[in-house]
Amino acid sequence: MNFDISGAKIFLKIPTGIPFLGDFLLSETLVVSWIVMAIITGLCIFLTRNLRVENISKRQAIAELIVESANNLVRSNTGGTKFDKMIPFVAALFGTSIVSNLISLTGLRSPTADLSTEAAWALTVYVIIIANKIKAGGVIGFLKGFTQPIPVMTPFNILSDVATPISMACRHFGNILSGVVISGLIYASLTIASSAVLGLIPGVVGDFLSNIPIFAVGLPAIVGFYFDWFSSAMQAFIFTMLTIMYIANAAEG
Amino acid sequence: MESQQLVTIIPWTFIAQILNLFIQVYLIKRFLFKPINEVLKKRQEAADKDIQEAKKAKEAAEAVKTEYESSMSDARGEANRIIEDAKKDANLRAEELIKEAEQHASSIKAKAEEDIRLERKKALNEVKDEIGSIAMDIAGKVVEKEIHEDEHKALIDEFLQNVEEAS
Repeated sequence: MNFDISGAKIFLKIPTGIPFLGDFLLSETLVVSWIVMAIITGLCIFLTRNLRVENISKRQAIAELIVESANNLVRSNTGGTKFDKMIPFVAALFGTSIVSNLISLTGLRSPTADLSTEAAWALTVYVIIIANKIKAGGVIGFLKGFTQPIPVMTPFNILSDVATPISMACRHFGNILSGVVISGLIYASLTIASSAVLGLIPGVVGDFLSNIPIFAVGLPAIVGFYFDWFSSAMQAFIFTMLTIMYIANAAEG
Repeated sequence: MESQQLVTIIPWTFIAQILNLFIQVYLIKRFLFKPINEVLKKRQEAADKDIQEAKKAKEAAEAVKTEYESSMSDARGEANRIIEDAKKDANLRAEELIKEAEQHASSIKAKAEEDIRLERKKALNEVKDEIGSIAMDIAGKVVEKEIHEDEHKALIDEFLQNVEEAS
């Protein structure tokens, strides 16, 4: 048995003829992303049906809890209501990230197991960071910031600035991909071990049993619990927290 | 089916994911944050209104209480004044009565003394006359002779004068 891990499947290739951008690939990543968006939006619509001021339903309580925790998270980390406009963005980032990570539980391929997704998010966050820096200190102040504390530091400052989106994207992507790889490896190795050990049984019984990966029951579920649940939630949270922190720092100048 | 490389950035996917993120931001804002924040705001307003109303009610109650207290203290003052007046009147009246009684008593006493004095004088005069006549009788009987009445009268008066002085 061969074990190989490949990227997202490509369902459709649409040639665009634009240089550098290449063909538009209708990949698993995009399709699952749309599913994720549909799930989140559907959940939002479901939770906010029949809103009332008094005597609220459980659904509304959950929706209010989500909104209030998003408000509190952003406000407590930025100190004040200055970044209230960012709350839906942060919430969308967190929601998309966590649902994308957890959708691997259903057997679909996570959109976050594709570097394009995280790179897109990280670049968006980076643009917002720069926009806030420029808003806080002006273009000159922003450029001057690179020469602090001494001009010799300029290359390093530029490097550390550019490293921000790259590290954010790679951290998230690496964690999810490692989960996919390790889960796949364990599953594959246990299947091979199962067929090898059970193949020792002589006769038809051995041939039959060696085709069933009995050893693959149990351990992948435990490993999957860590990678699918814990790591997913953790990475979504880390990505969101970093976003808030970077933006709050940027606005302080 | 064809697969993309494991670690790669596909430009169109990258662009599509940025758009997807912003679409998601709009959707989450439109379907979660806007309605929920509206409800939260409404509830906040309702709560604020309740608090304002409660404050107003409390103020009104305080005003009523102050009014009540002031009217109570007024009434108490009035009552005290009335009692004070009544006491003063009563004292005045009592003093007047006592004074009147004293005057009455002293007038009665004076009258009684006057009466006593008059009675005594009258009695004395009576006694004086009695003694005079008795003395005349005794003298007439003792001397048994005609004595000139006028001489005797002078003699008796002199005697009586002496008696009066002695008494």
